[in-house]
Amino acid sequence: MRGNRDLRLVAVASVACALLALLVPVEVLSLLFAAPLAFFLPGYAIVSATFVRARLVAPVLLTLSIGTSLSALALGALVLDYAPGGVDGPGWAILLAAVTVAACRGAALRRPATNGKWLPAWRAPMPSQAAYLAATTVVVVAALVLAFANLPADRAIGYTELWMQPYAAGGKTGVRVGVGSEEQHRTFYALRVRLKRTGPTVRRFALEPGESRVLRVASVPAGDGGPMRVSAVLYRPGHSSRPYRRVSGWTPSVGAPR
Amino acid sequence: MARPHSISGPFPKIALCSAFGLLVCSAANALSRATETTPVALYIAGVLLISLPIFYRLTSQDAPTGERFALVCLLGLALYGAKVVHDVPQFTFFDELIHSYNADQITGRHDLFTANPILEATPSYPGLGGATSALMTITGLSVYPAGLIVVGVARFLLVASLFLLFLRISGSGRIAGLGVAIYAGNFNFVFWGAQYAYQSLALPLLVFAMMLLAEREATRTRTLREWSAPALLAIAAVVVTHHLTSYALALVLATLALAYWHVHRTWKRPNPWPFAAVAALAALAWLLVVASSTLGYLTPVLSNAFDAVTNTIAGENPPRGVFQGTGAAVPATPFVARAVALLALVALVAALPFGLREFRRRYRKRPFAIVFALAALGFFGTLALRLTPPAWETGNRAAEFLFIGLAFIVASAATAALRRWADRPLARPLVGAGVALVLVGGIISGWPWDAQLSRPMRVAAGDGTIVSPPLGMAEWAHDRVGDARFAAAVADAGLLLHPGGKVAIAGTSPDVEDVIDGEALEGWELPLLRENDLRYVVADRRQFSGDALRGYFFARRGAAATELKPRTLIAKFNHVPGAARVYTNGSITVFDLRGRR
Repeated sequence: MRGNRDLRLVAVASVACALLALLVPVEVLSLLFAAPLAFFLPGYAIVSATFVRARLVAPVLLTLSIGTSLSALALGALVLDYAPGGVDGPGWAILLAAVTVAACRGAALRRPATNGKWLPAWRAPMPSQAAYLAATTVVVVAALVLAFANLPADRAIGYTELWMQPYAAGGKTGVRVGVGSEEQHRTFYALRVRLKRTGPTVRRFALEPGESRVLRVASVPAGDGGPMRVSAVLYRPGHSSRPYRRVSGWTPSVGAPR
Repeated sequence: MARPHSISGPFPKIALCSAFGLLVCSAANALSRATETTPVALYIAGVLLISLPIFYRLTSQDAPTGERFALVCLLGLALYGAKVVHDVPQFTFFDELIHSYNADQITGRHDLFTANPILEATPSYPGLGGATSALMTITGLSVYPAGLIVVGVARFLLVASLFLLFLRISGSGRIAGLGVAIYAGNFNFVFWGAQYAYQSLALPLLVFAMMLLAEREATRTRTLREWSAPALLAIAAVVVTHHLTSYALALVLATLALAYWHVHRTWKRPNPWPFAAVAALAALAWLLVVASSTLGYLTPVLSNAFDAVTNTIAGENPPRGVFQGTGAAVPATPFVARAVALLALVALVAALPFGLREFRRRYRKRPFAIVFALAALGFFGTLALRLTPPAWETGNRAAEFLFIGLAFIVASAATAALRRWADRPLARPLVGAGVALVLVGGIISGWPWDAQLSRPMRVAAGDGTIVSPPLGMAEWAHDRVGDARFAAAVADAGLLLHPGGKVAIAGTSPDVEDVIDGEALEGWELPLLRENDLRYVVADRRQFSGDALRGYFFARRGAAATELKPRTLIAKFNHVPGAARVYTNGSITVFDLRGRR
């Protein structure tokens, strides 16, 4: 690729991006390397290999590079599907880097040496323009932060979830009973679990919004090892004496999958 | 094309204004999520803040082509941002949940062709899921950010390619810029077309392929081949990404080849018939070899649309009312909004004859322009399809493609008007306002009024975060239930797919819908569940449980939709022998039909 600085740069960048994107453990940082590898470098290389005679202006070159990269991504998964590791990260990184390097090599063989002059010229923005663009970035980030913020919503109707899951351990069978508060405020509960052989188990507790509590109730299995009926009723003391939530089921029979 | 490769002119100021518009959109959605009474007008104001300065600058005669290119890219990305701030922090459109499930399956199983329990055809078109999997597997990102980025890049490609396509055909940067601006007014541009779904990637690739062929047509014979390789790559990418778009591409290229023959009376290069043949053969081969389930998916949609149109014409079925609500729960679109939407349509109709006159004067010898003119006329044909419920979806899909032609024709008319009244100070503001009218009208027509703003799905309460009832159920299923199949209403099934990661069946094939919605269990229903290995049943009393648009959110105190359906919807499962009632949150209860083991 001697005499084609852009191709050398793209080839080296693709290998570096592939390695760094895989090795950097922080997702956002990894994305900084993966994005050009996925959305620009393969397209630029393929376009360079293809367009030897035509002179491309910057918008066309940019659009071609991104469009060709997206096409390569959509089709690349088909190639990886038949590769030994299937569609996975290392496979993608190797494929994209390999396509880029191979296309750069092809371009270098086909086009005359340019010493980088083939790249469109670029003028840096003036300070005032740069200030506007910086302000734009700040406002966009503010818009996204606001969008991603979980805000209070007083008129959203909260609720409580109650669930039951059979389990068997240590020679006993029983159920896990979970209570999750998705209420808007701290809520008091009374949970009454009735298992045929143990009698009722009652727990009183309070949960903050978003909190949950899991209660285990178990007993030795019935003589025949069969399932035992179990029910759980949740009350909200102070609100009503009527059951608030109710679930019911069976303990697993001995030998049944948990 | 001029070659100003710096960010010049008023672009930085316009970009800042667009950023503030995005901030207003974000604030409107945040207020709505916080269950504060928020007028949709605030959101529309944000959209106008994004777009009006861009439109006004695009009407200018002296803006360099490079600046116009930057402006349309800014427009496309800023309007995409307006959709993104509608839906954070997770996908909430039904198709997005389906495709998220596919992407999760690809990355989890390292296998491209997995199964989708709700939309069987989607895994057979793995272009989007495959592209998303690249980011997901390399970086470890989840499907939400990865999908947002892939669709964002595709949006950039769409507006950039469209600009270059219009520029190549018209030779005018002003027509190209205004054409893209007008295209942003198509019904699906802001919401439906920006969702994480396969058409959102396929349509930009289609426009990209058209742009390449337009450039190819304009090039010298010795460089013709250079444009062919990326065009073929784009065609192949469309074929593996979306069925309807691949058929549309084949149709467009065939029409283009005929138009070329009509103008030049030759099938020799650069007539693009070989590309049309490749597109048609590739789409057919993919359909027959890989995606045969697509036939079963598309055939009923298209035949129902055809039947509905003929029945409506024959007077057997009443036409569909536009902008109408469904009962008290879904309000109708306000009068003013309806008026704006209809006015936008009137503006397009009014501009059409002038655009066609420009076409006849200047572009009738351009094969692409002939295709655009035909598409512009065809667009108004698809409006008729919107008047019958089963044909609505077909018309909606077709309109997104045909609007490309309409945008070019209307932009030609607008540019002719600007040329003619160049000395009138009001000409540019009026054209800019007209394009803004088309944009706002498209947003109103394209998405239900009550869904324009986001709704609460995760909200802050105390020191924690609470989630909506269907999302809570889906997260419980994700955490507590192993590999098992669910029968559920549409909205619940969507969330069970993603983020629940479960196999969930909804709808009428098999007829899970009747099992869920009936007040009593019929004799055939339990055997149906067993036959389909549906171990868990999600009984849901919420009004919107079957609504793929509105069924994911918190009920809002004081809203009409808080009233629950009859208790019998849940109670009917209490007495199923061996069934365990394993989860409840009040409105939603999950039964394990094999609870006694």
